[in-house]
Amino acid sequence: MNTALRPPVLRLLGAGLLVAAGLQALPAQAWSLTIAAASRRVFLHVGNGTANGNNGTINLVTATLTGAQLLSGAPQAMTSNSTQSGSLYGDGYTTCPTPSTQVIVGASYRRSNPGNGPASATLRVTSPASLTSAAGDTIPFSQISWTVSAPGSTNPNVIPAGTFNGATQTLATIPANTYIENCHTFSYANSAIRAAGTYNGRVTYTLTSP
Amino acid sequence: MNARSLPALALALACVAASAATHRLDDSLSHTTPPTAQMEWLPQTPGDRDGGMETWVRVNIHIDTRDWVGRSGRIYMVLPRDQSSSIEAVWTTRGPLRSGRLVSGERALVWTGTIGSDSLRDQMQVRLRSGPDWQSASRRLSFHFEFDTD
Repeated sequence: MNTALRPPVLRLLGAGLLVAAGLQALPAQAWSLTIAAASRRVFLHVGNGTANGNNGTINLVTATLTGAQLLSGAPQAMTSNSTQSGSLYGDGYTTCPTPSTQVIVGASYRRSNPGNGPASATLRVTSPASLTSAAGDTIPFSQISWTVSAPGSTNPNVIPAGTFNGATQTLATIPANTYIENCHTFSYANSAIRAAGTYNGRVTYTLTSP
Repeated sequence: MNARSLPALALALACVAASAATHRLDDSLSHTTPPTAQMEWLPQTPGDRDGGMETWVRVNIHIDTRDWVGRSGRIYMVLPRDQSSSIEAVWTTRGPLRSGRLVSGERALVWTGTIGSDSLRDQMQVRLRSGPDWQSASRRLSFHFEFDTD
């Protein structure tokens, strides 16, 4: 009796397996979407800045010398009107604890894929030949230099110390998807007697990813 | 056990093996809003130096379950790996499907029970994140659903 029933059972199972196989072979539809990568981005802040935003502030560093200081020939520390002590690197870390004598400089470069831009961006600073007074007197910009610091950082010299040269200087190369930042403290060399007056000049930092 | 009972036992085991299986479901009526999405940069932090990218989409899910009414099992959402850079999807739902998370190449449980109707509908809010290590400027993500029958 069992032998007589077996063939129909086998046929039924066989049909079921065929149906299941047929369903699995069907190209079932699915939800899908196309996503575009974020655009290439450079971000630079010098002194007072705003995370991921524009900030038009131009900070001023100053050295006001007494007659005795001028005659001493000793380098003079410069002060800053920057109030930016906190990092813009997402965590608010106090990178520049004394902004009255420091200017924070931070830069990042981001790209989403190798076709989205070069492998690095370049941080540069451009200074004019001289600071000038209303009377037309000048002081070479090379009289101003800076040291760098970054408390707690393993690489405080990520943007190196230097001296302005009255031209464009390359400060750092920033690999893709990297953020660099440290504090710059400026000083005036005071290596010569100058005519009395207020001397002004502006340096411009640029971050480029051609 | 006599010799004639052996074929019957073999058939029973074969039957169980055939019924517990993974089946791809048809959700061709699902659609996303917007149909394309633009990734935006996430903030870089010392803890997440790359920062990565993120976007949000709403997905109206409509899974055709007509062929599975009365069957019990588990439904998974699947995101096949499309390139070496992984995508993370995290979603919340408003209906019968479960909220969850998955990464490219994985699947995540979104529903369990017995299919009781011709369709399974829900709306997902999906956050997509990835690192900045894509191989192309855009990519097509093709999610799908699988039904593991009991």
